[in-house]
Amino acid sequence: MKKKVILFFNLALVITLVLTACGSKTDENVLRVWITWGDNPQQIQELFNGFTEQTGIRVEVTAPVETDKLMTALTSSQPPDILVLSGGDLVKSYFSQNLVEPLNSWIDTAGINMDDIYTAPADQCLYQGEYLCLPWGTDIYALYWNKTLFAEAGLDPEMPPQTMEELVAYADQLTKYDQDGNLTQVGFIPDFSWSHTDLYVSMLGGFWYNPDGTELTLNSQPMVDSLLWQQQFYENVGYEKMLNFIATLGDYSSSEHGFISERVAMMVEGEWFTGPNFIGAFGPDLNYGIAAFPPPADHPERAGTVVVQGTVALIPANATNKSASAQLLAWMLSPSVVAEEMYANYNLPTSRTAAQDPRFTSDPFFSVFIDLMGGANATYVTTTAISITVDDERGSIEEQVLHTGADPQTLLDDAQSRLSPLLQQALTP
Amino acid sequence: MRQNTRSRRWPRLRPLGRKERRSLWTALLFLSPWLVGFLVFTLYPMVASLIYSLTNFNGLVSTRVAWYSNYAELFQDPKFWKSLGNTAYMVLFSVVITLFFSFICALLLNFKVRGQSIYRVLFYLPSIIPTVASTMLWIWILKPDNGVLSALLGLFGLESPNWFLDPNWSKPALILLGLWGTGGTIVIYLAGLQEVPQSLLEAAELDGAGWWQRLRHITIPMVSPITLFNLITGVIGTFQYFSQAYVFAKFASVGKASITLGAPLQSTLFYSVYLYQRFFEFRWGYASAMAWILFLIILVCTLLLLRVSRDSTYYAG
Repeated sequence: MKKKVILFFNLALVITLVLTACGSKTDENVLRVWITWGDNPQQIQELFNGFTEQTGIRVEVTAPVETDKLMTALTSSQPPDILVLSGGDLVKSYFSQNLVEPLNSWIDTAGINMDDIYTAPADQCLYQGEYLCLPWGTDIYALYWNKTLFAEAGLDPEMPPQTMEELVAYADQLTKYDQDGNLTQVGFIPDFSWSHTDLYVSMLGGFWYNPDGTELTLNSQPMVDSLLWQQQFYENVGYEKMLNFIATLGDYSSSEHGFISERVAMMVEGEWFTGPNFIGAFGPDLNYGIAAFPPPADHPERAGTVVVQGTVALIPANATNKSASAQLLAWMLSPSVVAEEMYANYNLPTSRTAAQDPRFTSDPFFSVFIDLMGGANATYVTTTAISITVDDERGSIEEQVLHTGADPQTLLDDAQSRLSPLLQQALTP
Repeated sequence: MRQNTRSRRWPRLRPLGRKERRSLWTALLFLSPWLVGFLVFTLYPMVASLIYSLTNFNGLVSTRVAWYSNYAELFQDPKFWKSLGNTAYMVLFSVVITLFFSFICALLLNFKVRGQSIYRVLFYLPSIIPTVASTMLWIWILKPDNGVLSALLGLFGLESPNWFLDPNWSKPALILLGLWGTGGTIVIYLAGLQEVPQSLLEAAELDGAGWWQRLRHITIPMVSPITLFNLITGVIGTFQYFSQAYVFAKFASVGKASITLGAPLQSTLFYSVYLYQRFFEFRWGYASAMAWILFLIILVCTLLLLRVSRDSTYYAG
């Protein structure tokens, strides 16, 4: 009896395993590319069909893939052959678990020309001298200002603020109230449409990690200063009034967007916003300018500081045909492919050759971003194996400081004491 | 005393005959899809999560045993208490309001009026709409700038609350959203109301009892088992509250591209949301410990409810 019960369960298990094995069989002549973004998967697939025409190897693109699924896929025996992530924040976490293939040797084998790739986006992938990923286009942020609102406020419409202090004064001049004291127009919202603390803290001379990511510096003076600098925009008009004003602003992709509807006079925003899918679509007649975000008055040498953060491509450690993956990666990073894909999404081409494409150089707004990416003060977001936890905590602190007037020093000290041991633990082999 | 002890013993199993064994195998064969599913997808994950909760497992590689350290860390984690507080708020207010709303709706739908079946369908219909779709719909309704509710309140000269950015209004927004999907609870109440003996109601009416007295002294006590069932399933479901909060945080956009999970100011950081966050921070051991604490909380709450309701629930016979 006992034997039969065991036999029965074993049989059930074998059937399950056989069915599972049959279901996961893959074609070796197909390379699978997973991308965590992509509003237009068909366009991306058509782009990759170009690789098939050249090599005869079929490429299957899955986009967009939810980041929740990545961990399971990377740990499996058949992960995607190339994984394209929206940012580099997860790469070191995955690498610490041996899920990412180091690329230095493959760069040589596949003939990837690193000299053609802009330094700052490439450096975000470096870890202890080894490239863990490579940038496939990138994003940076600059200051957008509304020339019409500047003129109405008596400011020179062709001259954006030149220092962070001047930006505060301009924001004050550009802020308007109705008869009841409610805000009708705001000069500048520091966390619009999301956090830009990475840019502000870099301008103030620091970051929340030391440069090589071996130490957490959440409660360093530049971090405290960057939060206090942002807090004053809320404090000056009143926290509740500002939040009520933000609540009345429309969707990001709409003509009701705060900047497009001319209710927010200045904003920090990425290069894609100037393209055909945003201002081009919802505010083609908007009279605006774009310039580098200004440095603090006492540090003019920090002018042109930008923090690169954008798409990266990697080869999973468990990928079955790494040679073919590297070949595909080299094709993806070739100037013509980079130009094609980045123009389709209006993102910055990380290839120097691609950046000279007339489709980019003919747009004066886009050229501002390209110049900033190649500038001496272009830097990147430092990431570590505990980036997700730190970013989550930092986001929570920013919200409390900016939206309720909480003291940043206390909150940052507390987070530093809790998270610093976690980083040290993650760095211990 | 000795007799009592003896009566509690398990009956001694006699060996099965050939025919009975055959029947057992047939039964097992028919049960096997469920059995395999239960073992692989329920029992194994439960046992595994209990083991993980005692380790530093990060979901990727084998790790060292941590014994109770995840549990100890949990009780010192301010976010754990915050998420527990938010969830308790929802259990306290959302479950009670939902029960009350469902009961009132069921009472109305129990009246014999023309087109009653159409009304019943209309009330049930929202509950079969997927959570994501209904949450998106409510985000659109509650939008402070151009939402339907904002326009309605505007007709009376009232301003819409800042549902998405004001921590005082984010949970009420989710409670409001929850009322939309109470069709299932309404149907269960409706079935209970139709089981209330007509003879009792008629006798009470003959004795001069008004509508309110009949409701209070006959209908409510008679449907008390239904109330207890809805209460317990409601409490269990609300402790596991996740989907609406996740979609709310991911898609509610008010001038900002997206609101982070748990925002504003951690007011929608519910227990399951925080557990999910920890899980995707590669802290499976910690998340598993959280899951087991939640299991214990739900177990204790359910037993308490059963104990407290023992004297106030009517079971026929």
